[in-house]
Amino acid sequence: MTTATSTAPPKNRVARVLARREARVAFLFVLPAFLLFIAFRFGPTIAGVGLSFFDYDISGEIAFKGLANFQRMIADPLFWRALGTTVIYTIFAVPISLVLSTVMALGVRRAFRGSRFFRSIFFLPVITSLVLAGSIFVWIFSGNGPWSQLMTPLGLGGSWLGSTVLVIPAIVIVGVWSRFGYGMMIMIAAMQDIPRELEEAALMDGANSWQRFRSIILPHLKPTVFFLAVIETTAAFQVFDVIYVMTQGGPANASYSLVYMLYDQGFKYFDYGYAAAIGVALFVMTLAVALIQRLVIGRQK
Amino acid sequence: MTTMTPPQAQPLTELESRPAPARSRSYRALEPSRGGIVVRWIWLSLAAVLAFFPFYAMVVLSLKPGQVVELPGSLIPWQDISFASYEQVLSGQNILGWLGNTLIYSLVSVVAVLFLSALAGYAFAKKRFAGKEVMFWSFLAMVMVPFHVTLIPMFILMAGIGGVDTYWGLILPTLANAQAVFLMRQFIQGLPDDLFEAARIDGAGEFRIFLRIVLPLCKPILATLGIFVFLWHWNDFLWPLIIAKSNAMFTLTVGISSLQQQNVPLSTMLAGSVVALAPIFFAYLIAQRYVQEGVTGTGIKG
Repeated sequence: MTTATSTAPPKNRVARVLARREARVAFLFVLPAFLLFIAFRFGPTIAGVGLSFFDYDISGEIAFKGLANFQRMIADPLFWRALGTTVIYTIFAVPISLVLSTVMALGVRRAFRGSRFFRSIFFLPVITSLVLAGSIFVWIFSGNGPWSQLMTPLGLGGSWLGSTVLVIPAIVIVGVWSRFGYGMMIMIAAMQDIPRELEEAALMDGANSWQRFRSIILPHLKPTVFFLAVIETTAAFQVFDVIYVMTQGGPANASYSLVYMLYDQGFKYFDYGYAAAIGVALFVMTLAVALIQRLVIGRQK
Repeated sequence: MTTMTPPQAQPLTELESRPAPARSRSYRALEPSRGGIVVRWIWLSLAAVLAFFPFYAMVVLSLKPGQVVELPGSLIPWQDISFASYEQVLSGQNILGWLGNTLIYSLVSVVAVLFLSALAGYAFAKKRFAGKEVMFWSFLAMVMVPFHVTLIPMFILMAGIGGVDTYWGLILPTLANAQAVFLMRQFIQGLPDDLFEAARIDGAGEFRIFLRIVLPLCKPILATLGIFVFLWHWNDFLWPLIIAKSNAMFTLTVGISSLQQQNVPLSTMLAGSVVALAPIFFAYLIAQRYVQEGVTGTGIKG
């Protein structure tokens, strides 16, 4: 290195000038994206956490309240209702969606006549906004809709969206409908990576299809299942669109979710400080769930 | 704008079919028998009917205005068809205006996000500059923060700078897309350096290299990312709901959901849904594989 500098100092200086110019240009390239980030991600994130310690509403008066918003949250039955609803929704929607994704992926993973057609149909709900499609589901689950007529023999007739017990299953069904195709596609891609020889060998050894799934496909899918579990749980925890268009949190707050509560407090009651506190709670819980899932799955390995 | 997740590394280009190895007997043994195929067809068809039923009912019932819905008679597609609901929703509601707003919201965002993230991704991937690592990792960390944490401050900020009920207020905050920057960086890192070096020796300016060499090489990832960003904006709801206040600024999602609060008849509601969903379905029909890759290859639906 030292010899190089002594033999060719001018070239080195040129290189240094060029490198400095390059760095300046590179910085300019990053700058627009970075400024947008400061303004609309970093800033609001910090402000969101900060705001949760303040009392701030539409009157514009702002006052530091310490942990008052969080104390209020802990004492607020509506918060526990929203948390409970969200957790129950997640507990049902995520596993059902994962199982359905896996089953459908097993059905269409290999090319056969019609496999692409089926994949396309199952993927269609993924690109469909539940806000735009919501009204058909309101009808499907209404008292004279097809779902309640199907369920009448089981004693579960009547409007599911009007029932404080059945409204969550109805929302779970719609949520799963809109998401299983995504998991299916991810699963198909993961299944393509399983060496054929493994499955062939198992077949030769007389393993039936369940045994082949249990001891070859499933272990191979573990990282994918983990990936999907995290994504699906995060999404389920933030459930909002379906509830807004189908039930508005009702009946009697039976489908009132955390994000719905955040929206309600922020944009109906204009209680910004309290809404921000709910946002922080949501953030902490999302992180905690991701961490727990990582620990659990990490231990299994 | 609801869920943001780090993109995954699995390439999905080989999703459809990969070249089959030489057919051995054991290879064929894994293929389902003819009976197996029939059984599979039956249960997959049943599942497909269930999955497709909401779309079917949406279209058929939108063609039956002013009727009491009776099952199963109302679901027969060829009886008592009328397009009155479509006339009603197209003339009585500002749905074409909402469609235009959604197009503006989606298209402007796609172009801006692609350009800005390619620019930043290129610098992160191929350049050396002070603070690069810190900047990049802080970008990435932001992916973990749910959008909802920032919702209230973003709204207060927008109200403060006059962005509520404007196009720029709607679009600007959504351009800070960490996932897009990350994806572009990953892709550009895989491109060989020689290509840029050759152009640099020829005396091309940095921005020119970016426009003439980097962007064309990024076409596949730009297509994938573009579809994802487009769909995400098309279906986005919560942000437009709080920013687009007047009917003239509504996007399709906000407009259609406002119909529900007006107690519009079911068939008119559904006609609105069909009109709002049709462009995406049409695009899906002609570019299925790209759409599937766009959604699965980049992250998540909005």
